[in-house]
Amino acid sequence: MSDVQPTITVDARGVACPGPLTSLIKAYRKAKNGDIIEVLATDAGFKADVEAWVKRTGNELLSLTEENGVIKALIKVTAR
Amino acid sequence: MSKGLGIVLYSGKADTLMLAGVLAQTAANYDMPVRIFVTSFATPYFMKEKPEPRIPKEFADWAQKMFEGMAKMNAPSWYDMLKEAKELGDVKIMVCSMTMEAMGFSKDQVDPIVDDVVGAATFLAEMTDYEVIFV
Repeated sequence: MSDVQPTITVDARGVACPGPLTSLIKAYRKAKNGDIIEVLATDAGFKADVEAWVKRTGNELLSLTEENGVIKALIKVTAR
Repeated sequence: MSKGLGIVLYSGKADTLMLAGVLAQTAANYDMPVRIFVTSFATPYFMKEKPEPRIPKEFADWAQKMFEGMAKMNAPSWYDMLKEAKELGDVKIMVCSMTMEAMGFSKDQVDPIVDDVVGAATFLAEMTDYEVIFV
């Protein structure tokens, strides 16, 4: 998946829950199908939250990784 | 369409107000409509002039830890979370008319975050497609 380049980046590092998901949703509402949203977050709950959100909204989670305490989610917008 | 979240906000304690803020914002994240019915001891916090938030005595030690930790995390206040929720989605706040009258509040004292002053009947009539919680 390293060849997938995000079209939108959301930096929610240092933002407390439920802020990171709100930041993602604000970007998502402006996005169109085919966009790749990258979200960076440090809130520990974000991993599970973004998985739940993707499942509920029917978008596609391309990858979910964590490095040095920063969670990175790559989401392909498919349900707009 | 998502089923909505109805919150009967009864307690005016600092931790409960925070919980209402988190849940309202999270539900708005999910495009769930939210209706909050503010009653009893939560009522004074939905007036323009708010009393100091109260922390439950039996959890004073943990509450102090929690709120200090949240301040360090730059977590928004319950009020800002409700405001964010309202900007984000279909979120309406109603204050119980009976409690307001009993506590001696008038309509012009109501905080602008509040959409309406109503009776429990108005709130419950809207709750057909809502999951209702009491906090």
